[in-house]
Amino acid sequence: MSDGDLSSKYVLQTAGFDARFPNTNQTRHCWQNYTDYFKCVAAKGEDFAPCKQFKRAYHSLCPNEWVSKWDEQRDNGTFPASLEP
Amino acid sequence: MLSINNLNRSDFQYHPYHLVTPSPWPLMISISLFCFVIGAVLYMHGYPYSLVGATFRLGFINTAATMYFWLTDVTNEGTLNGDHTKEVVKGLLIGFLLFLVSELFVFVSVFWAYFHSSLVAAIEIGGIWPPLAIIALDPYGIPLLNTIVLLSSGSTVTMGHHAVLKRDRRYSIWGLLLTIILAIFFTGLQYFEYVNATFTIADSVFGSVFYCSTGLHGLHVLVGTGMLLSSFVRLVNYHFTDSHHQGLESGILYWHFVDVVWLFLYVAVYYWGGL
Repeated sequence: MSDGDLSSKYVLQTAGFDARFPNTNQTRHCWQNYTDYFKCVAAKGEDFAPCKQFKRAYHSLCPNEWVSKWDEQRDNGTFPASLEP
Repeated sequence: MLSINNLNRSDFQYHPYHLVTPSPWPLMISISLFCFVIGAVLYMHGYPYSLVGATFRLGFINTAATMYFWLTDVTNEGTLNGDHTKEVVKGLLIGFLLFLVSELFVFVSVFWAYFHSSLVAAIEIGGIWPPLAIIALDPYGIPLLNTIVLLSSGSTVTMGHHAVLKRDRRYSIWGLLLTIILAIFFTGLQYFEYVNATFTIADSVFGSVFYCSTGLHGLHVLVGTGMLLSSFVRLVNYHFTDSHHQGLESGILYWHFVDVVWLFLYVAVYYWGGL
């Protein structure tokens, strides 16, 4: 199998530099993208393509533990921020 | 000889200072304070009150009692014995101002904690302030009334002080009494707010910084009220003259300090914090 096939099928990239979060601690970068994704979906619906950018960013930046904890909080209704658009 | 005065002082000493005779109170208060602090720390680290309460209460009562004995000794030495020359009074004022500065720094540390927590709220509380589901108190309600009460008490205490300076006994008593009444009114209003608030000290960092800052201020209001009360008792008992009333002036300074701290609290915690 050739590398060319695989590399054209999967594009590997991580979240780009965001000037709002210039320092080493990227916690807030992860948090912001997580909340922005769900606010985007609440405003525009799940099929709205640009929302996917936030999803890719938070999946790339956030530890999976945090994502599952926050998903659980959203399901329980105990998520600490408002996710209204 | 009943008391020393500027005419006979040089029979005993060639300086205007007061070299205090040996006293048990400094040692007594340090032991009491230690006991009090040990009791408090043990309680805060989970030892049940039924076990450590005795230590705590013993320490507190002993500290209060020793303060009473020490301060009445100072009053007797100054007002009755004549040991408080102008130099001594200057020293007492400087000592009190240094104490006030140290109190200022305690409040700086509490305000620092408040701004650290609130300016950039942690993601664990949703990155917003006040946190979701915390209903902050309405700054235009009782907090505004409290501001007016304290500002008014500042003016009544000034009226009382000016009356002392003018040797007007009637207005000096009224001024100080009104101030004490307003102080008690403030305390009552704060107690009502505390009891009826929808959040407790355990409700996230918001509850912690709110009650630690306003609570520390409340303790200072109680101390200030105590100082004003003791000055009131001394005023009624003719301890003060129009030119010598450092105890009263210290109490008034402390009370103005309490008022200014409240103004900062009102603007930063009640008004801005509730936005």
